[in-house]
Amino acid sequence: MRPKVCLVLSNFIGFNRVWLQVLRNLGIDYTLCIATSGATSANIQTPQGVFSPSSPDLRGYFRQFDAVILCDNVGDLALTSFINYSVFWMSWNAPEDPAFLFFNPYFSAAITESAYNNNFPSDFPIVRPNPSDLAGTLYAADGGSPSSFNPLVVSSVGGRGACVLFLAENIRAHVMTICNTHTDNIPYYWRLDTAKHSTLASATYTHRVARNGRAGEILAVPAPPTNAEDTETYPTDCVVAYRYRNIFWLPHAMARTPHSVSFWDSPVNSFLFWLLYGLQLAGVRPRYRLPVQMETDHPLDSFASTAPFNFSYLQQMQMILAQFDYMRDFARRKNTAVINGVRVGGRHRTTSITFHWNLMYSTSVPAEARAVAQQVNQLLIAGHREGTLPCGVHDHTAGNYQGGYWLGDVRAGFRRHSGMRYGAPNNVPINRGRCCVAPHVLPAGVAGADAQTVQVGDTELVEWDFTGRASGTSDTFDLPLGNIHAARMIIESEIEEMLALGFPDGYCAGHKYTNTAANASGGECYWQALKEFGFRGVRSASACNTPHQTKRVVANRLWYGFHLVTDIEFDLQAAEAGYTRGLYYPGSPPQGDAVRRWQLDHGNDISSGWTSNPALAWRAYRRVLCQGIGNWLFTTAVVLGGFYIHAYTNSMIMSPSDPLARFDGWSKQNVIGEPHYCHSVELLENMDAVVQLLPEYLYWGTITDVMDHRERVMGG
Amino acid sequence: MPVRFLRNASELADVSWETPLPVQVANAKPVPADTLLVATTSVDTTANRDLLGSTSTELPTLDACGQYRKLVWFYFRTSDAATTYRVLARATDHNGAPLGAGWQEIVPATPLPGAANSWGRIEIPATTDGYYDQYRIEVQRTAGSNYNLISKIVGVR
Repeated sequence: MRPKVCLVLSNFIGFNRVWLQVLRNLGIDYTLCIATSGATSANIQTPQGVFSPSSPDLRGYFRQFDAVILCDNVGDLALTSFINYSVFWMSWNAPEDPAFLFFNPYFSAAITESAYNNNFPSDFPIVRPNPSDLAGTLYAADGGSPSSFNPLVVSSVGGRGACVLFLAENIRAHVMTICNTHTDNIPYYWRLDTAKHSTLASATYTHRVARNGRAGEILAVPAPPTNAEDTETYPTDCVVAYRYRNIFWLPHAMARTPHSVSFWDSPVNSFLFWLLYGLQLAGVRPRYRLPVQMETDHPLDSFASTAPFNFSYLQQMQMILAQFDYMRDFARRKNTAVINGVRVGGRHRTTSITFHWNLMYSTSVPAEARAVAQQVNQLLIAGHREGTLPCGVHDHTAGNYQGGYWLGDVRAGFRRHSGMRYGAPNNVPINRGRCCVAPHVLPAGVAGADAQTVQVGDTELVEWDFTGRASGTSDTFDLPLGNIHAARMIIESEIEEMLALGFPDGYCAGHKYTNTAANASGGECYWQALKEFGFRGVRSASACNTPHQTKRVVANRLWYGFHLVTDIEFDLQAAEAGYTRGLYYPGSPPQGDAVRRWQLDHGNDISSGWTSNPALAWRAYRRVLCQGIGNWLFTTAVVLGGFYIHAYTNSMIMSPSDPLARFDGWSKQNVIGEPHYCHSVELLENMDAVVQLLPEYLYWGTITDVMDHRERVMGG
Repeated sequence: MPVRFLRNASELADVSWETPLPVQVANAKPVPADTLLVATTSVDTTANRDLLGSTSTELPTLDACGQYRKLVWFYFRTSDAATTYRVLARATDHNGAPLGAGWQEIVPATPLPGAANSWGRIEIPATTDGYYDQYRIEVQRTAGSNYNLISKIVGVR
């Protein structure tokens, strides 16, 4: 049986194409049906005809699907009509009927249509929201503060959510959660009519999606606090997800937006958990599960000054060591691989003691810190060899010290390695030949004695006359960056450093992948050179040589079989802030803590009272994890990309004496008396809870699984 | 380091345009056109904003397009606010490096046709063949309010 769902929407202008991208990536077939209005009198336009929404014909049509999904949602509970036509389907509860998935459903008491109100099931147990009595019909959630913008269209920032307890699975997970919202931009959760629920929960009901054989089931509720500091609690009749017979009443899953979706035009949609969970509940078995994996950049790096924490190099190295030891163990247990981009270049091109090589060997680094840095390196090598911590090159010295590949016309004072094919003292081309002619049109005897054939993509040219375009025997020269000869020299130099560090290769072992520095993958000549050195793909931004800004990745992010994987970063601070000061820290510079970076301080409900109200740390913790997991799921399910962090920049807010401790509010503090938080541990463990919740949709995989899957669903 | 394969049992050949890997192609159909871009642009008064939202004037909207004779730009505009578009193009060498800085302007600033919630289709270039490697397509609103422009570009060989 092929999995197949029906999507019902009102028009394409507000239709988010992420719905379809996710379904395509999962291998779930879909059909789109258009409602001609929001009223009960609407017609439903299907590929097999136009049906009345209450007609037996439509009911029969729906029965070919595993699930019917209502795509439309709105943040105004005063509307009198929106998806009123769907009310009839709430009574289509026979075993032959499909599951119906209502995400952020509109069932406001403001609906005046008698056809809606008369057909709304009288035993439905969730209180209908009333815009005139919000407090009496809904629960203001996540602090009850308004977002500064419509929370339903939230993208990669500004998240709202909760730690949710999934009752049947008995799993707690942080997921972006809004059941309904209104023009006040406050997220709300639902109020249960406990008497009606009690009746439903004791009534037997037979349908393939009724896993407990009952007519009503509470699926998820806000999780109770784990620490008395966290006073943000909800009444016992508060629910966030409910099954009414074969009807699933679920939180918001998808922003309404006209954005088209491709591998490079898709604003982050961080509510996807509920779509995946709903599909799984509905028994839609996807052809493919999606691999979940995480990457880090700069596994060894440091800061000279870490005010207000004032950590020594030794302390920084110790916290890094603890995190990678944890990640190695996690990867072993979960059968995943945490990819790491080793910051090479220190061996030949910079003396900065922030670089991997120099932290291990520079005498400017205290000996005891160097010793721990070498332990980190040994841990990475062991993890690389066993497949848990594969490491690849990540060179911030190739292009004018700014970042990755091809970041200027010329890299002044480039210093190369020695030996191998492109190292000193070999005299090799460093720019394309003055003359380049395709071999099939090259007259005999024309090419110079130094001619060599170069192939980039499907273009093969004979190049000659390298006068003034070769390296000579020197190890240092100005290197023109926009050609394959430079690309080969740079990549060979990086791999030589990896070998000198003790790694057997520079491309994450069998994954043949790396995350490029600054996500700058250069352009065709670098992709070709990387292929020649054995790479299968790299992580890359769309504008792939920023800040030089002369190149784009190819449209489908697959260049002659070479993958250009989308980058999604989730550090706790912006790059310009260096390192994080906290989930929130009153004295932080701009974007120097997670709440500022990810715009999570809704109505100042975290910053105001941070030091006096301990519950606010828990609020910040919840929002950070909800946003992070949401962005990661988007990376996994939509763009099939690479989600990554810098472990070292997130280290400062950890307690050095107990670096891997789980967040416990003010009960576990760091060196400046603020709440301790370990980003790598929290992200991995919370995503693991999500993976456990979605065993039919997600699995812990590797970047190889991601690239395999891209090839599977991208087609030619 | 070209990839090599064994040809005629004893001859080692480099993989190239003339000597591709020996594969058997079944049920293959020629595909003369590829979808190259699908994007939504918030059209505002910023000069030099391309369809992907970038204002970096050297940054191409589309790269590695040398195989395409023509690009066909389909769009849906959600407003009739007066808008101009401009198309720039240039060639690169085989490494992908532009032959020089700047662009050849193949369509100067021209009113973008269409009313609110209407469709449009523009061929690039309008008359001759393209085969440029890089294109930059800019849109700029000259009156009215910001709106979304949804584009699809197909490359035709």
